[in-house]
Amino acid sequence: MNRLSSLEEFKDFRQRVLKEKNVIDTKPCLVICAGTGGQASGSNNILRVMKRHILGNNLLNRISIRITGCQGFCEMDPFILVEPGHNLYPKLKMEDVPKVINAAVSGKVVEDLLYREPGKDKCYHQQDDIPFFKKQVRTILGDNEKIDPIRVMDYFEQGGYSALDKVLENLDPEWIIEEVQKSGLRGRGGAGFLTGNKWELAHKSKDNSGQKYIICNADEGDPGAYMDRSLLEGNPHAILEGIIIAGIAIGANKGLIYVRTEYPLAIKHCVIAIRQAQSLGLLGENILGTGIDFDIEIIRGAGAFVCGEETALIKSIEGKIGEPRQRPPYPIEKGIWGHPTCINNVETLANIPVIIDKGAENYIKVGVPGNTGTKIFSLVGKIRNTGLVEVPLGTKLKEVVYDIGGGSSSKSRVKAVQTGGPSGGCIPAHMFDIPIDYDSLRKVGSIMGSGGMIVMDENTCMVDIARYYMKFLKEESCGKCYTCRKGTQRLYEILDDITKGIATLEQIDLLEELAEVVRDTTMCGLGQTASNPVLSTIKYFREEYIEHINNKRCPAGVCRELVGAPCQAACPVGTEAWRYVAHIANGNYEEAYIAIREYNPFPSICARVCDHKCEERCKLGQTGTDPIAIRALKRFVTDNVDASVYKPKRSKEKKTDRVAIIGSGPAGLTAAHNLSLLGYPVTVFEADHHAGGMLNSCIPEYRLPHKVLEKEIDAIFDENVTLKCDTELGKDITVEGLFSDGFKAVFIGIGAQKGKRLHLDGEDSKGVFPSIEFLKAYNQDGEEWAKGRVGVIGGGNSAFDAARTALRQKDVKSVVLLYRRTREEMPAFSEEIDAAIEEGILVETLVTPTKIIRESGNIQGLQCVRNSLGEVDSSGRRRPIPIPGSEYTINLDNLIIAISEQPDTNSINPEGEPEIQLNWDGTLNAEKNTLCCSREGVFAGGDVITGPNTVIDAIAAGKRASVMIDRYIRGEELQQPVQKRTPSVYIPPCTLTEEESEGVCRAEAAKIEVEQRLGSFIEVEKTLVEKQAVNEARRCLRCDLEFTQPKKEAVELVTDEETPI
Amino acid sequence: MIKLTINGLNVSVEEGSTILEAAQFLGFPIPTLCHMEGLSPYGACRLCVVEIGEDAGAKLVTSCTYPVQEGMKVRTTSKRVNRARRMIIELLLASCPQSKVIQDIASKYNVRQQRFRQEHEDCILCGLCVRMCEEQMVAKAIGFRGRGETRSIGTPFDIKSDVCRLCGGCMYVCPACQLRCTYTEPDKAVCGGCANIAAPCLDKDKFGDMMCYMDPCVACEIEK
Repeated sequence: MNRLSSLEEFKDFRQRVLKEKNVIDTKPCLVICAGTGGQASGSNNILRVMKRHILGNNLLNRISIRITGCQGFCEMDPFILVEPGHNLYPKLKMEDVPKVINAAVSGKVVEDLLYREPGKDKCYHQQDDIPFFKKQVRTILGDNEKIDPIRVMDYFEQGGYSALDKVLENLDPEWIIEEVQKSGLRGRGGAGFLTGNKWELAHKSKDNSGQKYIICNADEGDPGAYMDRSLLEGNPHAILEGIIIAGIAIGANKGLIYVRTEYPLAIKHCVIAIRQAQSLGLLGENILGTGIDFDIEIIRGAGAFVCGEETALIKSIEGKIGEPRQRPPYPIEKGIWGHPTCINNVETLANIPVIIDKGAENYIKVGVPGNTGTKIFSLVGKIRNTGLVEVPLGTKLKEVVYDIGGGSSSKSRVKAVQTGGPSGGCIPAHMFDIPIDYDSLRKVGSIMGSGGMIVMDENTCMVDIARYYMKFLKEESCGKCYTCRKGTQRLYEILDDITKGIATLEQIDLLEELAEVVRDTTMCGLGQTASNPVLSTIKYFREEYIEHINNKRCPAGVCRELVGAPCQAACPVGTEAWRYVAHIANGNYEEAYIAIREYNPFPSICARVCDHKCEERCKLGQTGTDPIAIRALKRFVTDNVDASVYKPKRSKEKKTDRVAIIGSGPAGLTAAHNLSLLGYPVTVFEADHHAGGMLNSCIPEYRLPHKVLEKEIDAIFDENVTLKCDTELGKDITVEGLFSDGFKAVFIGIGAQKGKRLHLDGEDSKGVFPSIEFLKAYNQDGEEWAKGRVGVIGGGNSAFDAARTALRQKDVKSVVLLYRRTREEMPAFSEEIDAAIEEGILVETLVTPTKIIRESGNIQGLQCVRNSLGEVDSSGRRRPIPIPGSEYTINLDNLIIAISEQPDTNSINPEGEPEIQLNWDGTLNAEKNTLCCSREGVFAGGDVITGPNTVIDAIAAGKRASVMIDRYIRGEELQQPVQKRTPSVYIPPCTLTEEESEGVCRAEAAKIEVEQRLGSFIEVEKTLVEKQAVNEARRCLRCDLEFTQPKKEAVELVTDEETPI
Repeated sequence: MIKLTINGLNVSVEEGSTILEAAQFLGFPIPTLCHMEGLSPYGACRLCVVEIGEDAGAKLVTSCTYPVQEGMKVRTTSKRVNRARRMIIELLLASCPQSKVIQDIASKYNVRQQRFRQEHEDCILCGLCVRMCEEQMVAKAIGFRGRGETRSIGTPFDIKSDVCRLCGGCMYVCPACQLRCTYTEPDKAVCGGCANIAAPCLDKDKFGDMMCYMDPCVACEIEK
């Protein structure tokens, strides 16, 4: 390339390049992302295959390749984008590359390989239609896909250096500054100072030597942020152009790019770009004959986080220890070697050519007043579409998280977003309505920072997150300010104690107090923002802190010392799942049964209907394979071992204080059983003819055979427990009456028995019933209410129970289940949904009933409207929005409504008795930890306080109630310190050998054939066979061993000690 | 001359002086650990924080490093300042309980206990010794190493420095180890016993918890 020596030559050159571009561009082009992220995902391999295929098939004249920097959609790396059609082929495998090339050559598309949203069939032909790209405005980042960063011509072809052209033509620094001021551009490094104002100050600042510097700050150190790297890697000339314009504006004669050595590719591309610019005459002495001398140099930083702070950065460039100093004087007055220095972030400088080229008045059209332009965010963490996202400032946080990011990457919901890296704060999901701009983020206790956005779901512990950031900061603080160095250390220390369960509640206050002092008294931005992670998590997630301290429990299952084995921690009753799994692996089935029964009086019931929270938290499930089938293993044990092997420990002491239990569901029976073991005489009152509550009346026999149920319920009634059936609260007994009958304490466990209503006209028609009554009628009295065409409304387990029960009734022809959201959002177990579909139930999603059609009091049909999913609501699920005009009718003979239940609490407070407090939603108000109600001596647990919930939660409530009632009767403090529940029994491991473990996957219990199921209530799921069970148990990772394995004797390390003189 | 208000008092001080100098000149006490006349201001201990600015713009800055500015409003003992100072003293006490200087400041501010895990360190990294060595003794024998929690003071590569003249200046200025150096004869700031070997705080690792390794050690003698 010849050095261009005048502005005219430069203009000429640019024109020529732009003209030539239109001539050549006819053949299809394969664009591949080979930024650092792309290379890490294997784009180099793809590239090799591409080249081989093109050369091998002589396609050189028919197709071209462009190797670009990061294009933003890092989740889909390695991918190929085919121009001119903009077809995106994500996550390409090497063997698929030839197919893509051949299709591109002949102008076709390979539909199978095109981008699809996970779990959906629709494929996207155009890149811009993909939801990830659709809502973005890629002013800055968009050029990355069009430019090969080591080819300066690509940049010219995209209109590059036109801003420089404009500036040189009208060589007036004040005009540039005015333009930038008008654009309202704010520093993208985090603090958001107006760039134009900074430049004005820098322009005016002078010292005797006349030396002035402009620095491009590319010391990007935030964990999870990489937009600066991607810009330098993908489009280095844009940054150079920005620096040159900034240099001209402020009158600098030297530009520096301070970039970390950890960014080798960015450095390489920058070095190449600088050399190209120098040889073209855009840098160096007398630029394009304008008389301006300006050159750019790269300074490599050694990677200290604090060197991103401007005064520390200057010290680092000067070769001193990178530690900040007091401002004022600001670098603008006294910077490198005492000369005026202006420091701008990479992204800020990348915006400059855009502003100059398009004009400030066009620039401010994007964004909101006060926060103009676009901002790049790196969206990482527990999000489906990881990558770089560029949106106008003022875009709502939820649009970025849910629409662009695609929501949580796992089944659990998004809980919070951490913005601004370690110095930012966590924003909880219910506040995702806020617009992303500098001021709104600061208002909620976070910062923009450099634009990192770390998404967290329910498996992220907020205390642990605060602890992680504090660890980072205590290591990265320069250590100059005492409060920053020692303050972050002490903050970490306290947070660490909380995650270990050895902290006290007062320490939360100490944390806040210290964090505020650290924020107040430190010198630089690092210390001043270091408290944000602590303060914001305490502000929005204080209950998690309290849970760690008071209940020694980590709700997210992260903090190792509190969690122990995740399966045990996840279980509401604390069953040592690891223990019985280990016993099964060793073939000790009786031992396994004892381990199960110790914690749970209804093992066989739970083996069939438990919602297995343990499996969700299983470490194996989080490491890429399927979790251990813990419930199936439990079933295997309970089916094969006789219940009599377990002899419960009974208190020898006979107590005389009587306890009344109202309701004989799992909560009531568990409480009765445990109190009986403690020696209390217990009376259980049941409104129905049989004990069992929901277990009996609502769970169909094909899931839970009556024989199994009866056996375990009957075992509860021993010499201490008496059952009184057909005794209804409010009718036959009252709470006060029980106390006057001499009962010392009363436990209310009446469940949630009243079906919620749809609130549609005609809901009282004949043939419309709540699912709970429908199931009760069949399960208890054998009455078959359903006939003909049956509709079920709802998406929970109870809806599927009703649908599957209806299908088994004699006169039923067809069953259709209607749900207003999609299958993904259904609360029912996925195996239930599968089984229902297998049996022939039609599951219609995205449908809301609008009208019940009836004739002379009988239901005839249902008018429904189809929905589409709209914005995400506060529950983290997308709200169904009716599509106008999509109404349709279905003919029905029966309609079963299964949209949740609520407790029938009318009976609790009869007139003339002191009232027991209820909540607004009709549930009974009981203290969460002690289960105490507002009336002394009354305890409550299970569905009556929570609303419809699982069996295992009810059992847990019963267990807790029995402890509390015992304490109450003995006059002890109800709230007592909780002990950690970490594994304590050592069981030798028996894992699969390497050969055995090959190709092993999760054991699935066999099911009876569909033909057999229809019309009968035989249990659908079968027991695992022994070999299956043992192998499944041996798959366990045995998280408990970390706590129980006998320590090998520590070998003393002998070192050569220096002998003191 | 620059006009400003300190604690509501209108004063004018020389241009270029720091808030600390101005306040001390006018008789407002501000505690410091890392400041010493004759050494360049550093702003490490943060004890000398004062509040400047008003309303939403109010902030705490270290008075030892902050130059006075025209019309500035300084409050040396506001509620916010005291809260911060007391917390800093707590942190200091938690790490360096044996320092007489820190104990004195604590009692002045009525800090009777600290709420952190007790440590026994003998350096608060105030940097006085480093600046003494560099600026007054012109030796540059010691300096800071590492960052964050691993920051420490010492010679390069922990090798006995060739440029150290064993002047003892570093120990003379140390606020954390003053107690052990002046224990028997408080009027003589440097006991002189250590001057024939390297300064004890630099050899901490080698000698463990020993306060001083003179033979016989003064501290040990007293303990006996």
